Amino acid sequence: MRYPALFGGTLMDFKSSPFMYAVGSAIVVFVLAQSTFFLVRAVKRGKELGISGEKMKNAAVQSALFSIAPAISIVATVVVLSGALGVVLPWIRLTVIGAIQYETSSAQSALNAMGNSAGLASAVTDPTQFTTVAWVMTVGSIMPLIILPFVLKKLQKGIGKAMNKNKLWADLMSAAAFIGIIIAFVGRAILGTGDKELDIIGDGAGVLSITGLLGSVGFMLLFTLLVKKKPKLQKFESFAMPLSMFLGMGLVLLVNHFLPAQYLIEWRY
Amino acid sequence: MKSYFDKTHTWGRIWTVAALIIFLLVPVAFSIHLNAWPKAEYFLKGLASVAIIFYPTAFIEVVSYAPLLGAAGTYMSFVTGNIANLKLPCTMSALETSGYSVSSEEGEVISTIAVAVSAMVTTIIIALGVLLMSVTGVIQKITSPSSPLYPAFQQILPCLFGAIGAVYFYKYWKITLAPLAVILALLAFNGGMQVGILIPVSVIVALVATHLMYKKGVFGKEEPAGETHE
Repeated sequence: MRYPALFGGTLMDFKSSPFMYAVGSAIVVFVLAQSTFFLVRAVKRGKELGISGEKMKNAAVQSALFSIAPAISIVATVVVLSGALGVVLPWIRLTVIGAIQYETSSAQSALNAMGNSAGLASAVTDPTQFTTVAWVMTVGSIMPLIILPFVLKKLQKGIGKAMNKNKLWADLMSAAAFIGIIIAFVGRAILGTGDKELDIIGDGAGVLSITGLLGSVGFMLLFTLLVKKKPKLQKFESFAMPLSMFLGMGLVLLVNHFLPAQYLIEWRY
Repeated sequence: MKSYFDKTHTWGRIWTVAALIIFLLVPVAFSIHLNAWPKAEYFLKGLASVAIIFYPTAFIEVVSYAPLLGAAGTYMSFVTGNIANLKLPCTMSALETSGYSVSSEEGEVISTIAVAVSAMVTTIIIALGVLLMSVTGVIQKITSPSSPLYPAFQQILPCLFGAIGAVYFYKYWKITLAPLAVILALLAFNGGMQVGILIPVSVIVALVATHLMYKKGVFGKEEPAGETHE
């Protein structure tokens, strides 16, 4: 099944037909509708509780700024998967539930099950193989949506009760849980190895990962200090974290550009 | 009358079930449109090898992330995914800046705003990226290994978690030590361990160590600095 060119003058195959794009767009509309629904509800409730408009706006702006760079890297994942699966399926999968490690391993596993040993390394041309991949990726990822309606309310009530009993303990425990998550990523930046099969330069721990990590930590601490010293700057506080991330990325580019190649060591490749 | 929390759970459940049905309709639609249904044998074989990891992980993720994301934030996050690298950092930084605790109703409002905005921005950027990709190929150029920006994209996670972690490491350095030591020891032994395995280990070590230090009076009886800077 071939379709005439829609974009860019290239012939599209069944994986990127107008129908596929229509399905992808429907998913986008659903996600936006859900987010808008909860956002409007929260803002209304925030006003009732007397939370200042500025605080709510700051939360929104900060969150939007924080989302830009990771979202672009998600698009990069769509690019990577599109070679084998076309654009639409990776687009849908990474818009909902998706995360790179799940999506690639699901797709790879489905293709291998059908005896396709090339897996994601070559374009899937058989519609049945394609739908099998779509089914495995979808069914493989939906478990949280089955669990949530049953457990979340009870789980949060239990946590709420424990939290209300002792505020200091509760604050420490929630800080500990979050620090635990951050440390997993920090640890990989210090000692994690890259993908052995793909052998990509720069995906293991080394000078660049440490530059990014320490650079963004340094910029953030600097901004925190500045805000403490000059209370006038407080209104810019919500920009400090996303800005530190971008500056950290900028520093990586500078170091990568100016440091002679022999010093760009990757000690865990 | 139902409280805000109760209503949030009711709406959260409705949206989650709707999401489940709609997501399952995607492969159904593809199969009908292409008139190509998978063979049960291949589907089950492919599913089995990922389900054995993903299904138990789903339980761990729900239990680990739910306390930090708030009610509506959790429902939305699990529909849109990318929790550890997007929804959680957005929520934690928004709560940190606002000064509210996630267990308070004000914290619930702020976390909901953070997750909803993050989901919207991400969804729109991905959709625009797909459009740009189809029309011009510019995204492929920016993110390809030959792009001058490529090294920065490779280091997004250290930069993202460095920026968010900085304030936490500074304020709670005592909490940071134990999980950092354990994770570095694990990675020294096997550097290929992915965050999916490291996160539960690190969180459990952090929680247990913090609880023990709390019992020993390491944190005193005062509230930790910074948690009430409203």
